[in-house]
Amino acid sequence: MPTSTPYRILDTPITAAHERDRARAMGPEQLIALIEASGLRGRGGGGFPLARKLATARAAAGGGSSYVVANAYDADPGSPLSRTILLARPDLVIEGLAIAASAIGATSGYIYLHPEAAAARASVERALASARSSLGDLVVEIALGPGGFMGGEESALLAVLESRRAMARQRPPYPATQGLLLRPTVISSAETLAALPLIVRDGAEAFRRVGTAATPGTKLVSVTGAVGSPGVYEVAFGVTVGEILEHAGGSPAATMKGLHIGGPTGGILNATRTGVVFDYETLKAAGTHLGSAQIRVIGPDVCIVNEAAHLFDYLAKETCGICVPCRVGTKRVEGILEGIYSDLGRADDLPWLGELADHLDRFSLCGFGITSASILRTTMSEFAGDYASHITDHRCPTGTCAPARSRRYETMAQP
Amino acid sequence: MSLIEQTQPAESQIPTVSHHGEIPSGQPICEITIDGKVVTAVVGESILRAAQRAGFNVPTLCDDEKLAPAAACRMCLVEIEGYDRPMPSCHLPAEAGMKVTATSNGLFDMRKQNLEYILSDHNAYCMPPCQIGCPTHIDIPGYLELMAKGQHVEAARLVKEVLPFPYALGLVCPAPCQEVCRRGLVEEEIAIRQCHGYGGELSLEMDVAPTPFPQEATTGKRVAVIGAGPAGLTCAYYAALKGHAVTVFDMMEKQGGMLRYGIPEYRLPKVKLDKELNSVWQLRDAEFKGGMKLGRDFTIDDLFAQGYDAIFLGIGAWTSNALRIPGEDLPGVIEAISYLRQNASGDPVPVGQGNKVVVLGGGFTTFDCARSSRRLGADVTVVYRRGRKEMGAHYTEVDDAEHEGITLEFFAAPVRIVEKNGRAGGVEFQRMALGERDASGRQRPVPVEGSEFIIECDTVIPAIGQSPVLDWMETTPGVRKTRRETIVASGALMTDRPGVFAGGDAQMGPVTVIQCVAQGKLAAKAMDRYLAGDDMSIVAEELRAEEEVPELIDIVPYKPEEPQVRMPFLPFADRVKSFELIEKGYDKAAAEKEAARCLQCVCPDVGQCDLQRLSLEHGLTENKFHRGEPVEYHDYEYDFSHDFILRDLNKCINCTQCVRICRDVIGANCYGLMGSGYDSIVTTPWNVSLSYTDCVSCGACAETCPTGALMMRERDLQTYELDVVRCIYCGDCVEVCPHGALGETPNFELSTYQRFGVTVLAKEELAAARTWKPSEHIPLAADSQRDAIRPPEIRPPGPPRWNA
Repeated sequence: MPTSTPYRILDTPITAAHERDRARAMGPEQLIALIEASGLRGRGGGGFPLARKLATARAAAGGGSSYVVANAYDADPGSPLSRTILLARPDLVIEGLAIAASAIGATSGYIYLHPEAAAARASVERALASARSSLGDLVVEIALGPGGFMGGEESALLAVLESRRAMARQRPPYPATQGLLLRPTVISSAETLAALPLIVRDGAEAFRRVGTAATPGTKLVSVTGAVGSPGVYEVAFGVTVGEILEHAGGSPAATMKGLHIGGPTGGILNATRTGVVFDYETLKAAGTHLGSAQIRVIGPDVCIVNEAAHLFDYLAKETCGICVPCRVGTKRVEGILEGIYSDLGRADDLPWLGELADHLDRFSLCGFGITSASILRTTMSEFAGDYASHITDHRCPTGTCAPARSRRYETMAQP
Repeated sequence: MSLIEQTQPAESQIPTVSHHGEIPSGQPICEITIDGKVVTAVVGESILRAAQRAGFNVPTLCDDEKLAPAAACRMCLVEIEGYDRPMPSCHLPAEAGMKVTATSNGLFDMRKQNLEYILSDHNAYCMPPCQIGCPTHIDIPGYLELMAKGQHVEAARLVKEVLPFPYALGLVCPAPCQEVCRRGLVEEEIAIRQCHGYGGELSLEMDVAPTPFPQEATTGKRVAVIGAGPAGLTCAYYAALKGHAVTVFDMMEKQGGMLRYGIPEYRLPKVKLDKELNSVWQLRDAEFKGGMKLGRDFTIDDLFAQGYDAIFLGIGAWTSNALRIPGEDLPGVIEAISYLRQNASGDPVPVGQGNKVVVLGGGFTTFDCARSSRRLGADVTVVYRRGRKEMGAHYTEVDDAEHEGITLEFFAAPVRIVEKNGRAGGVEFQRMALGERDASGRQRPVPVEGSEFIIECDTVIPAIGQSPVLDWMETTPGVRKTRRETIVASGALMTDRPGVFAGGDAQMGPVTVIQCVAQGKLAAKAMDRYLAGDDMSIVAEELRAEEEVPELIDIVPYKPEEPQVRMPFLPFADRVKSFELIEKGYDKAAAEKEAARCLQCVCPDVGQCDLQRLSLEHGLTENKFHRGEPVEYHDYEYDFSHDFILRDLNKCINCTQCVRICRDVIGANCYGLMGSGYDSIVTTPWNVSLSYTDCVSCGACAETCPTGALMMRERDLQTYELDVVRCIYCGDCVEVCPHGALGETPNFELSTYQRFGVTVLAKEELAAARTWKPSEHIPLAADSQRDAIRPPEIRPPGPPRWNA
């Protein structure tokens, strides 16, 4: 039923099980066509159209076994979006998963959680216990990830489900062709799947009434840092970052220095860029990415070089360790950034970091290393003054940096 | 086949053909374009495999054709049309019409960056620095190990592979090897020079000196070497060993060049020098013709006319450079080189008891003149225009000179020679201060105004450098000289005239003895290739490549401190008026004790290491990630506890080849990635000793390891005999062999085939058995019983954090 007010995932009254039964009655082709018409894109950060994923998996399965995984891992500790949905509306995720399963003919589904998300797990377990009888031959189970950032990466997630270490795998082949146990697997974020019952109920047109033409629908965002009331908010795609910040209690321009968008591997934009439209393409054009949909407001007392170094410190601890650019690269970039904020930097460090950012972007195996380059690129272009202050004036722009090292990386040749 | 349709799992892609072999007929093939060249590939095989078969050198460190691809090392990334970023060619299946760029400047730089990253966390020895530091690249750890075991003649042979005169160099070499010795980071460097000196001295006492290898059969080619100094004789030695007939010409009556006529007796006794140099004439078809001067007695054309096929010019640098100050021509100003020559030949010299001598300069020749004069009874002052640190002579020479009672004066440049009674009566100097650095990195001395002073003396010896005598060039077409008055030679040490080679002081300007020896060795190598008719530009490239070394970060393992064994030497008091040899030489015990101090800081995988090879190919001679905090580099314990396999995690590059080969080929599954983040490392579960794993000692991991992280322990192979009387044909040996080698051949009595006959699976049964095409989905038992393959809900406990 089209409604006059834009609906939101978090508080639309809906009997999800009913929509699942309607979806099943629709038949896979029609269901996938409906999802395609709705323009639903993956909320996990990639923005890949869900319908294409489903169609690919359905074709690859060829009637054989296939799997659906709801990724509710919330890899970014600052962006508990899946937890928010699972606490408020676990039925939407379970039934969304069931709808996706019916689209590809899967009889196995997993809801993949962070091991520390105890409340969300309890909530989804309760919902699952009551839904199980009506799910028919679909078996939905809860799987727990290993903890850590990398556990949420889709190919690492597959490794975890196969009882292996959370390691990224080179794609192609994509999981939709070759996933869990080498069978077609649709991995989608819990948030994406939660939109499916709404689409089935209201149709594609209604879903497209909010959001932009390229990206219809709403998105949960996590606003953290120096804002009035940090938290998770649901916004329509196409609003500006500034509007989102106003939702979250606002932040006076004087108390904002930067906007870190997209989670730990996202870029940091200058605080003046609140006009950036919140959407996959516009954020990418701005130098960062939608990622975990976290908007972290960085206050004026933060040195951006230091901030970037700490991000790379975090990444070097979290990398899965399989590919060289990410395992060694993040550590070395951290070392260079530490050298700069310890006032040991040189002017040629900046072009060097630029080269290393290109290398991370071009040569990394998975999105982890590829997107981390945006931290370097955005901080160096948007906060050139912070770098210059450390390198040329040997002074922290905010007076907050304590030297982290006594010597910088040096070039040495063996005698 | 598109990627979407592809159902063959990437991890179980089995290469259809090896990159050595041909594609068997009947394989579905397709054509792809690599760097503009059309290449035939088997459908579904990796692009890397197709490229390797077509002869492309796509670098890789984690690929093994037996194994599923890992795409871990990121070296084989190639650009493919239609992909927005480089893709690993080891992982991506070839598809008809793919356009691949495997070689480009961009990819080269990215791969180089990758290697730099890998090496920045490759805490291991590669080439020993001493071997790199020595211009001749002696296998120093090798001969020190032999000496420590007491095998001194073998040690001498090893040294003589690149350095024919270990005794002479043991006394006069400035030992660049010792300056970079890693033992110096523990306490004191190894006395490398003295050790080969001992080995050389030992072989002097043998009737026939040991040679590094037997002299090769006569080639029928004739080589003329002009100059019997270190460069010429080294060239002659190796040319003769190669089987060429060698004649050495020298303008002096006796052999040795500057070794004999330049270096005074107290540094190098001439009797023993002759004994060592005679090892050249002990070779077949090697002869010496003294008193023959190029330009005076013969020309290059004469030699070619006499039937020589190649000529080496090692004529040294025999004229002293002029001071270019007033008064230089006064009596009492002596030319350094002829002074040393007269002294060495026993001729009367213009210096004696009571003379006041001023020697100008700071090089080896300066101190040879000064210390000789001191021994002749003179009162000697050495004046140099820069400081002590900037002196070209070895610091031991300078220290010794001071102890012998020679006055040193620094930062003073001569302005004029003061005349007194028609001859030199003193030298006027001007004070100097160090200014800006010149091209060589040394600070340029600049005069201080109004600081002139005079040192009174009766003899002045300017020793500020030498140049080769090149007057013969006028009669020799095709050989050019540089502005610095040296002979022009190519990378293969050949002059512009084919067949004429040049090396040593005459080609480089005055350098150390060891540099001349190194050039003599290279010239002999190049000459041998020239005589074989090879392209000299290729030879030049090969010689250059041989000299390059990769850069690695290294940390010295802990060793108990053990000071250097001191060389016994002549007391300073006994040196005045005595040309007795200063360094007495090691005895056997001292030499062996000193040799045993060597850390043996060389990787046994040098030469076989893929990482080393790729680093060289990518020109990685330096690393920008040195001198970080110690916690940024890993320092793992060795695991040498296993009987057959040695593990050194410091050399591991996380390529996971051992993980895959042990799990997928051998089945023992001993290795996995442990630790987290940057500290991830491939090792055994919980990093236990390999002995405590299911290791079957097959060695497949060591065989596939691209670096020296996993190595087979060296062991004496034994032959086991099978007691056929006691064999009960249980077949256990067949079953446990991890390679299945024993079971696969029908010729082996214990093979499955032989033991069970044809009953296992007859050909007809095989033909009737259900088979699946590669593109088909083979139904798993799991498909019908889904519960059986259900992944567990909770992951098993994670491995402990590294360094937690």
